[in-house]
Amino acid sequence: MKLFLSKYILPIVYFIAGMGILAAIWSVVAQSTNNEVPSPINTWEVFKEVLQNPFQNDADIKGIGTKLFSSLERVGIGFGLGSLIAIPLGLLLGSSKVAMNIFNPIIQILKPVSPLAWFPLGLAIFQDSPKASVFMIFICCLWPTLINTCFGASTIPQDHKNVSKAFGFSTWKYITRIMLPYSFPHIFTGLRLSVGIAWMVIVAGEMLSGGSGLGNFVWEEGFNGGSTAKILVAIVIIGLVGLFLDKLFSMLQKKVSFVA
Amino acid sequence: MTTLINPIHQNIADAILEPVLNIPNAIEINNVSVSFKSAKGTFTALKEINLTVKKGEIVALIGHSGCGKSTLMGCISGMTKATSGEVIANDKKVTGPGPDRGIVFQNYSLLPWLTVYKNIYEAVDAALKHLTASEKKTLVEDNLKMVKLWEHKDKLPGQLSGGMKQRVAIARAFAINPSILLLDEPFGALDALTKSSMHVELLKLWNLDNREKTIIMVTHDIEEAIFLADRVVVMNNGPAATIKEIVDVPLPRPRNKKDIVHDSVYMDIHDKLLNLLIDKFSIED
Repeated sequence: MKLFLSKYILPIVYFIAGMGILAAIWSVVAQSTNNEVPSPINTWEVFKEVLQNPFQNDADIKGIGTKLFSSLERVGIGFGLGSLIAIPLGLLLGSSKVAMNIFNPIIQILKPVSPLAWFPLGLAIFQDSPKASVFMIFICCLWPTLINTCFGASTIPQDHKNVSKAFGFSTWKYITRIMLPYSFPHIFTGLRLSVGIAWMVIVAGEMLSGGSGLGNFVWEEGFNGGSTAKILVAIVIIGLVGLFLDKLFSMLQKKVSFVA
Repeated sequence: MTTLINPIHQNIADAILEPVLNIPNAIEINNVSVSFKSAKGTFTALKEINLTVKKGEIVALIGHSGCGKSTLMGCISGMTKATSGEVIANDKKVTGPGPDRGIVFQNYSLLPWLTVYKNIYEAVDAALKHLTASEKKTLVEDNLKMVKLWEHKDKLPGQLSGGMKQRVAIARAFAINPSILLLDEPFGALDALTKSSMHVELLKLWNLDNREKTIIMVTHDIEEAIFLADRVVVMNNGPAATIKEIVDVPLPRPRNKKDIVHDSVYMDIHDKLLNLLIDKFSIED
């Protein structure tokens, strides 16, 4: 009974308490700005309104769901391509000192550059603003995965390497039975960080690129005489989707972890 | 005075002695030195080691921590390269690890993300490439049953006790059916009771194999060395460790753990080894 309480009931109570505090602060801000910032209740009304016809996909009017999925699609492509390059490259850098010495300066120079700075470059390369956002996501997804994968591969214990050596593992067996499984928890830490950054950056990217997507929704509502309530709705949706992505990757991370 | 020996008797004696005297060498260590280069200069771990081990013999290497026992073991297994000299195992010069020499590592070295079964299967699969998949599976099954861990085959190493992990490591080494078994402080991390039963288990496996496997083990436990070995190789303290003395253990097999400790031969060997390993017996205040 006590276990049931602490396992299922208490987390719900804590969650409601946290949301209550958020709603209280929100209400205070709404009141002190004379409802320039809409109150939670007003926002809820707009939320329901926005959620009508979420997947409307006409030339001029697109539903919130359509925008959300177009953002997710860009993140998916950029994140996917970035990971596809970052993981093998990270494994290579982690296992070869020479490769590490060659690539490390490049990484150190490019990593601190703000993702948004890559947008014009993407535009110049692809001559297409949605593709430029994907390019931006791709670049910013490289670093956390690359660095964490590299760390994983470079810290494989000598014990595990000895097993491979003693029993004559082939290179393929070494990679698939020792290097990858040992590095997986680190790789997934990198992927989790990457997807978090990607989700933050896509909104900024779509504000620059226009077209479709949640960032574009925020931009239009915010600067073209739209409603602040809709921006708040967008913020809530962006937050919830970000939370979902993080939980998803944290789950995957737990799945590939092992007890040493 | 000359003694006349009947030539027929001479022939019979030769015939009896012949297989005893001509047991082939499993391992020959010739003038092996190992040194490592570090920032502080060259560190010599082993200096001019010579040792010959016969087929089917059990030899224990004993010495203080850091005396180079494991380095010498590494030279035989091929994990460590000798700086000079050579190691011959099964009439071939050792240039690297090979399936004729099975290794049980100090800390089991099981892969924590693979099940017990998979840990052994992957080793068999890598070491014995010429076998078919079903032959490999049979080998894994037989060896896991031999160490009585078949019911635990789907567990991960993290779910096993120290003694069970060690049995998996031994089963893995046995599965590739090496003629030489190299054990690097295999029972060091086990409690006294588990250790004792593992000694008996190891000898059982050795007997099952008609005592044909050559076993070399590193240890720092005198009782363990005497109970298991035919010869105990005592090493000097490093750096530049050499062999201090080789002590024969002429106790008949099978040896009984309880009885053996009261044997006067056992006690003499024990004292001798203790003397070789410990210089001072009393603490000077």
